[in-house]
Amino acid sequence: MIVVKVGGSEGINLDTLCEDLASLTQEGQNWILVHGGSHQTNLIAEKLGHPPRFVTSPSGYTSRHTDRQTLEIFEMVYCGQINKGIVERLQKLGINAIGLSGIDGRIWQGPRKEAIRVVENGRTRILRDNLTGIVKEVNTSLLANLLEGGYYPVLTPPAISTKGEAINVDGDRAAGATAVALQADTLLLLSNIPGLLKDFPDESSLITHVKESEIESISDYAKGRMKMKVLGAKEAMKGGVKRVIIGDARNPNPVRDALAGKGTVFE
Amino acid sequence: MASVNCIECEGEIPLEEDVMAGEILQCPHCGSELEVVSLDPVKLDLAPEVQEDWGE
Repeated sequence: MIVVKVGGSEGINLDTLCEDLASLTQEGQNWILVHGGSHQTNLIAEKLGHPPRFVTSPSGYTSRHTDRQTLEIFEMVYCGQINKGIVERLQKLGINAIGLSGIDGRIWQGPRKEAIRVVENGRTRILRDNLTGIVKEVNTSLLANLLEGGYYPVLTPPAISTKGEAINVDGDRAAGATAVALQADTLLLLSNIPGLLKDFPDESSLITHVKESEIESISDYAKGRMKMKVLGAKEAMKGGVKRVIIGDARNPNPVRDALAGKGTVFE
Repeated sequence: MASVNCIECEGEIPLEEDVMAGEILQCPHCGSELEVVSLDPVKLDLAPEVQEDWGE
């Protein structure tokens, strides 16, 4: 079993990703796909007159400020356009994919952060209208039933809070939590860069291998969204996932390439 | 410069002119972290301890 997370940044080719997954399926590979949708959400939010706003935590993690209107736009794009677009691609390729969000059947559940700290113009403040949280529980029985029934789950944020609210969660960490809960061998985190770069954006500075004991020391190289991927990798390994690969979704065979070790391999 | 008193030690905390609702101030006397819960007049409360868990 592998869990594949594909990001939603510009330049990612979902057609080749789905073709690669379909071909691996025919060879007997079981998988769960988790996807993002950040770039498209930004475009649609701009068009709807509610442009995205990103906030930064005191330790430098950035995330989308998710008020109610943003969450509704987020659901339109992630659960609608992108999730159903991936499912349609896979169905055309003969894969019986089923698209679900973390809300459905409480696939991803966790606490909502009622208040978070953000840094704006060098000053720290509390934000209380943010609908974000973290996945603490994965509905493994539902996912196992789907897999046993021959369905291939295509999962997307949001998740659901313990109080039943939709919450924006980080997709990389949700994919990591899913891999841990299902005791997956491998977690692939695919995006629009080759992996963790020592000198971002110089793609020739790719870090190819990271031992679990080295994660803390290489974390400083992670900038922007990469910080979350490294955190997701760290959490997954701590939870028992043997291999995590941060790979490039722009490759013609992104899943095969990552499984073959192309990218940054944590093991 | 305007100021406000710390709710923990009553020490004086200087305020920036553009102090924001929700802003966290640290008392220079006792080190308490305080949240600006209203602006007119400025009122403080102890800042909540929150973890850094993030959405997409």
